[in-house]
Amino acid sequence: MIIVLAIDALEYNLVIEFNCNNLKQKFYGKTNITEFSEPRTMVLWSSFMSGRNMENEIISKGDKEMWNTQINLGDTFFKSFKNPKIIDLPGFNYYKEQHKMERIMLKKYFDTQNETEKKEIKIEYNNHAFEHHRKVKREFIEALNGPYDFVLGYFSIADVIGHLNFGNRTMMKMIYRDLDEIASGIKGNFIVLSDHGMEKVGIFGDHSNYGFWSTGFKDLDNPKITDFADIIKEIKEGRTWKKNMEQ
Amino acid sequence: MNNETLKFVIVGHVDHGKSTLIGRLLYDTGSLPEEKIEEIKEICESLGKDIEFGYVMDHLEEERDQGITIDTAQTFFKTEKRDYVIIDAPGHVEFIKNMISGASQAEAAVLIVDAQEGVKEQTKRHAYILSMLGLSQVIVVINKMDIIKYDKNRFEIVKKDLLDFLSNINIQPSYVIPISAKNGDFIANKTASMEWYLGCTLLEALDTFETKESAVAKPTRFVVQDVYSLDKRIVVGSVVSGILRKGDRIKVLPSGEETNIKSIEEFLKDVTEAEAGKSTGIVTEDKLFIDRGNVIIKDNDMPVITTKIKANIFWMDKIPFNKGEVLNFRCATQEISCSIEKIFRVINSSTLEIIAEDGVEIKNREVANVLIKTDRPVIVENFNKIEELGRFVLGREDTVAGGIITELMP
Repeated sequence: MIIVLAIDALEYNLVIEFNCNNLKQKFYGKTNITEFSEPRTMVLWSSFMSGRNMENEIISKGDKEMWNTQINLGDTFFKSFKNPKIIDLPGFNYYKEQHKMERIMLKKYFDTQNETEKKEIKIEYNNHAFEHHRKVKREFIEALNGPYDFVLGYFSIADVIGHLNFGNRTMMKMIYRDLDEIASGIKGNFIVLSDHGMEKVGIFGDHSNYGFWSTGFKDLDNPKITDFADIIKEIKEGRTWKKNMEQ
Repeated sequence: MNNETLKFVIVGHVDHGKSTLIGRLLYDTGSLPEEKIEEIKEICESLGKDIEFGYVMDHLEEERDQGITIDTAQTFFKTEKRDYVIIDAPGHVEFIKNMISGASQAEAAVLIVDAQEGVKEQTKRHAYILSMLGLSQVIVVINKMDIIKYDKNRFEIVKKDLLDFLSNINIQPSYVIPISAKNGDFIANKTASMEWYLGCTLLEALDTFETKESAVAKPTRFVVQDVYSLDKRIVVGSVVSGILRKGDRIKVLPSGEETNIKSIEEFLKDVTEAEAGKSTGIVTEDKLFIDRGNVIIKDNDMPVITTKIKANIFWMDKIPFNKGEVLNFRCATQEISCSIEKIFRVINSSTLEIIAEDGVEIKNREVANVLIKTDRPVIVENFNKIEELGRFVLGREDTVAGGIITELMP
């Protein structure tokens, strides 16, 4: 089984600062996403699974329609697996209503000038994100014990919570530690990958222009997000494991 | 309620639960803002977990980073008996430097050990610092008892291991307490989790410790700064411990000559006594030879007059010390040339690794246990008895090291 822990907005600097050794693994670094004009979640994950830069295609759909992107299995590297399990991945099979609700609440938060209302929205927004996180976590842990040859779990918590709370270091640390705990439960080799990181803007967070990767088996240097389709195919064919085991 | 405050430090292996213990101490003593605790609790619950007290420390650090908390290095809580300050030791270097320079003095220490992992190398190194700094009020807490299902046998094994090591470095902990900082067992509350343990909680143990004896209650020491010959001959200096009163019989060291205090002199004030902490002037009945660096005492409890001092020094100069070099020794107002006759042990203050035994060199940020030989006799005390005469600096043109006297060699 090949496993990818896909984490939206997992910030390289925080993984280091919070000492998340399970997320960090033996080899880790930043991904190169400079070929994209902006670090957009939908663009980056779509490019990841298709193995090619899909920025123009996705953006041309417009701001609203972009979120409905659903790439066919045949156009992704997942097709090379017999029984892949993909959980909640944007551009493939993510829970549209969940993420739509997040965007609506985020907009409401920034639109209102009423501080009490802001506070209430934030609580609701955070609860909504945490509830979803618990659900994805359960599903991912179950999948690890399932009959699959490829499991990808997409975790949006660091991004969703980060947008409104990135300045709350304690809260971010608690989330990073939880993600680290999830990584600690994975047996064998796996890849941790984020689309982009996050930087602090006051109490809020905005996307940073690099992502995070880690593996326990190979130094990937400064890979592009579009490189992972081939990297994972190589692993599937046993080339990477074998080469590194020989070393 | 007593107004005294006990300062203590928590040391131990980085993963053995120090942050959780501090968080728990603050939580159980109601020393944290309810709102923040609720927030941490809620996030933990949101993540499907019980509250983790380690995050309380993160919150405090965050406040410090944002400049909300005024004091950057200390955390406070109180019991019914008194106030407590947990001295934050961000790193060994700072802790040792602060202890030696007197910037922050811990009066007690809690050494934390993980019940499952047992005594680790870092545990030993931290214990060694306590011994080196002369901290004698020590509590050992064996943490994470919940993980080992409160197993008495495992507790006894870890306890024995640790006590064996501690006895080698002359530390006799006053208490060894099984705790779970996570669950709050035997921190502030006795719980039913360990019926086999009949001892006290950590807070009860801390409450039995003594704060540093007030300097006024200690034997009197007046260090002479200068002698002014005005219309009368005034000996000026600082009372570093005890109290001087008009009429007191005093002895001047190192000469040993005795006389009485004729008057206590303070500018524009009519006073008859001066207590510890005061800079003042005295006039003696007899005209004795008194000079800067002399120490005036009035009790039979004598300091030591010696040329040999065993001490722990913290080197803080980029240019290393090499055996054979002559340095200035300054203690209170005494200033004299000295050499370091023996370097028993050199330790890296950051990793606490032993760099050399019977060494010849001490480099920046290293701690060394040494034997100092002064050119003339100096009047000193053990650091734990009277700090001001037990602490010294070594210098070239500028200060290069600070030290504390651990053993007196008459």
